[in-house]
Amino acid sequence: MKTFIFPLLFSALLFGSFSEAKPIRIQLWHQMIYGHRVVLSDALRAFEKENPDIYIQETYRETEELRSSYQAAAMGGSGPELVFGPSDQIGPFAAMNIIRPLDEVLEPEYFNQFDPLATPIYKDKHYMIGGAVGNHLMLIYNKKLLTNPPKNSDELIALGKQHTLDTNGDGSIDRYGLVFNYTEPFFFAPFIPAFGEPFMTTDGKPQLNTQALRKTFEFILELRDKHKIIPKECDYETANALFKQGKAAMLINGDWSWGDYKDAKMDFGIARIPMIVSTQKWPSPLVGTAGYSLNANIKNPEHLAAAIKVLKYLTSDKVQMMFTERVGVLPSNLKIRETEAVKTNPLLQISSNIMEVGTPMPVVPEVRGVWDSLRIQYQKLLAGTLTPDQAAEGAQKLAEEQISAMNEVVQPDFGSTVIKVLSLFLVIALIWFTRNSLMTFVKGFQGPQKFVYYMMLPAFIGIFAVIIYPFFYNIAISFSNFSLLTFQNWSIVGFQHYVAALGDAKFYSLLLKTVIWTVVNVFFHVSIGIFLAVIINQVLPAKAFWRTLFIIPWAVPQYITALTWRGMFNQEYGPINQFLQQFLHMSPVQWLSQPFTAFAACIVTNVWLGFPFMMIVALGGLQSIPHTLYEAAYLDKANAWQRFRHITLPLLMPVMVPAALLGCIWTFNNLNIVWLVSNGGEPGDQTHILVSYVYKAAFNLYRYGYAAAVSVLIFLILVGWSLISLANHFRKEMK
Amino acid sequence: MIKKMLAWFSILLFAIFSIYPVLYVLSVSLRGDNAFQSQSLEIITSTSTVKNFIDLFTATNFLLWLRNSLFISFVTTLLGVTFASTSAYALSRYRFRGRNLMLFSLLATQMFPPTMLILPFYIILSKMELIDSFWGLFIIYSSTALPFCVWQMKAYYDTIPKELEEAALLDGCSRWKTFYKIILPVSSPALVITALFSFLASWSEYVIAAVVLQDPQLYTLPLGLRSFQASLATQWGLYAAGALIVSVPVLVLFISISRYLVSGLTIGSVKG
Repeated sequence: MKTFIFPLLFSALLFGSFSEAKPIRIQLWHQMIYGHRVVLSDALRAFEKENPDIYIQETYRETEELRSSYQAAAMGGSGPELVFGPSDQIGPFAAMNIIRPLDEVLEPEYFNQFDPLATPIYKDKHYMIGGAVGNHLMLIYNKKLLTNPPKNSDELIALGKQHTLDTNGDGSIDRYGLVFNYTEPFFFAPFIPAFGEPFMTTDGKPQLNTQALRKTFEFILELRDKHKIIPKECDYETANALFKQGKAAMLINGDWSWGDYKDAKMDFGIARIPMIVSTQKWPSPLVGTAGYSLNANIKNPEHLAAAIKVLKYLTSDKVQMMFTERVGVLPSNLKIRETEAVKTNPLLQISSNIMEVGTPMPVVPEVRGVWDSLRIQYQKLLAGTLTPDQAAEGAQKLAEEQISAMNEVVQPDFGSTVIKVLSLFLVIALIWFTRNSLMTFVKGFQGPQKFVYYMMLPAFIGIFAVIIYPFFYNIAISFSNFSLLTFQNWSIVGFQHYVAALGDAKFYSLLLKTVIWTVVNVFFHVSIGIFLAVIINQVLPAKAFWRTLFIIPWAVPQYITALTWRGMFNQEYGPINQFLQQFLHMSPVQWLSQPFTAFAACIVTNVWLGFPFMMIVALGGLQSIPHTLYEAAYLDKANAWQRFRHITLPLLMPVMVPAALLGCIWTFNNLNIVWLVSNGGEPGDQTHILVSYVYKAAFNLYRYGYAAAVSVLIFLILVGWSLISLANHFRKEMK
Repeated sequence: MIKKMLAWFSILLFAIFSIYPVLYVLSVSLRGDNAFQSQSLEIITSTSTVKNFIDLFTATNFLLWLRNSLFISFVTTLLGVTFASTSAYALSRYRFRGRNLMLFSLLATQMFPPTMLILPFYIILSKMELIDSFWGLFIIYSSTALPFCVWQMKAYYDTIPKELEEAALLDGCSRWKTFYKIILPVSSPALVITALFSFLASWSEYVIAAVVLQDPQLYTLPLGLRSFQASLATQWGLYAAGALIVSVPVLVLFISISRYLVSGLTIGSVKG
């Protein structure tokens, strides 16, 4: 019972005022992996013991989510005092002015004690202090299978071939020479400079249409298709699982993964990613830091002082040692680097040796546009739809487009005046023309109908607050230049976003794809639903049992469904491919790396999720069909199909049509499945439907104004469509 | 005979289709090595262990999340049922100013992409100082489920003959009493559906909870489960075990009300 009261008390506290004696609460949002989280928590509890006037509340968020929730919170003028994350989040946060330059609050000497990597500079200012440095990729090898790691690419390929084996002779590979998440550009980025020049200049200009990128593309394709030493499809989870189960001799992964392999009691070694023979250059992993930044919104000086104290503590010698000793990260404090604990740790020594050939992680916001376009082109290349030449050329073009879209500050044009005047005019006109209705409405609260009004009121307020207000807020944003650079001072600029969206061929192709997605899904939902309902209703014993069985997919939360099906479609490990191989003797299908099959996978998942609802509706509909009709049909010698066609189907229609219409609206706007199954539109951004495209524009590319405009268009499309298809229903209803 | 065979065959096929993914999650939850993938199709292997389930209850805050989620869902359901049943009654029985607009806007709310509402939600709640409080969630959850529930309830009320209330009103019952004593009891199938949908809206909701709740002490189940997932190091075993447990209450709910489910979801549309 206590815990039930607690939340209520807590909210009461929030409404009440804080008294002076209460300890200051400092919030810290972080994205540390499980093992690191435990150390962080211990460190913070120790701090609280020494500083009873401060308590710290740490909140874990997954990297992408941390970014978007921090942005939302900062926009609302609040958010945690401290935020911990990888250094590449500095760029966007600083550009939005939502984190504070640390030079304002810390002495210049303070930064000197750290490895420069841990105190990255954006536009001449420090925005973060990292507790550790690294985050870099390396070659990790299984010592049971391999005594010496390969030193160059020729050795890598030779060793890889030697270890790629079909041990039981069934025609499928049981052990791979090399595995890594080669679907993500981050994991192949180290090779680019090794084949020539880096993929980005130091001031954040993409440099992708290069010989180096072409050669890198070719290299990865050769590993997969010519030398066949890596699996045909391999994401992070697959690579990790293969390596941990001893089914891969070598793996490219980062320093964060060591703990996992230690826990699995593996005997592993680490080394540089082998040198490229043709250029005699080492692949250069991106080296960065993950660290603490200060919220720009802290207004209370006491909070600020406390937050700085916590920041200093978390980057102090003591805490760094805790992390180094317990999870084996390389400390950022130069003094601790020289201690015995670090110097005698073989992993850390090799790791710093690997870092010598690394490239500092760029922190400018533009890097996101570069990654994103690289990912899109790279995945198209892997799917075989582009040649290395086309992919490199396209990547450069796309990156430039994305960066200019991200950095775009739309200037107000005459449209902004039109909108302002028009909306004022609309409001006045609306009030004028509805003045009688409004008066009657207000009077209604006292009149004879007041019962009705009070019955309606709570729902009305709820819907207004939660849906109508946000809706108009979005319309305002859709006319604004709200984006990365205008995060805190956006203004109404005009119709530019609508013009841009409607003038873009992509919008129409996405719309077409969304329509296909909706029609196919709802068709299967309804037909499977009716089919099962008819069979359960007529043929089978134990109706309740079957009904329950088929409800199961409905009971599983969507985010779990999506991740589960994603795992089931895995090329290497997914049960679907294993079934195809073992029982149907087919070759495995690369479901998620080809646009068509990936989209099909999303549809299958969503069909699984949606048919139970339709089945239940159909079952209800069937029960209301009078038996006498069937009896009459028997007398007329109608066969089963005729009975279905002429009795069941027409009488089910009144039930199924409204359900299907609602189903269409839900499916049209269902983000979860497409986003999670396709991992945000993979491969190469080709599995988007409109809502996932909107989500990406808003939360990944910071184009809030544009995203809002597209979402208003989605709304208009759906309203128009439903007005047409529901016209009859409404005519009856509105009488 | 052949027809029967065909029927059995297809139903078994769909049974596998509907149940296999759940078994797959079960198999992940029983693996000891924290791997999402394995090369075997077997669900239970010699290395299977219930360690993840034990860890879930002993080593994590699972029970706390469960309590929070149950509390939130309970209150949301209560609010949702109350608001939906009263406002749907008004919409079904009375003609008043703004009724048509209300009916249409209820439907229209379903058409706006929900993800774009997150930012305004956050701004409203932080202005009202409801961040990090269950109240924020109660308001959002019960209101977002309302449009569907109101339509559902209204369709059901439409099928109840007006004579029922007219008799009561003639006998001197107040309007509220008529609603409360006469109409509500005969609407139980629709009330159950409304309750179910309000419950579902809050039980497995993740995105809004992630924005509103920041104190780990207030985490709900979806938030808690998500914390097993890191971008590069997921605790798959714990996650899968948690996922199964999250689905159980919903399933139990479905089974216990499946009688109402079938009639509640459809009767309105058939007769109306």
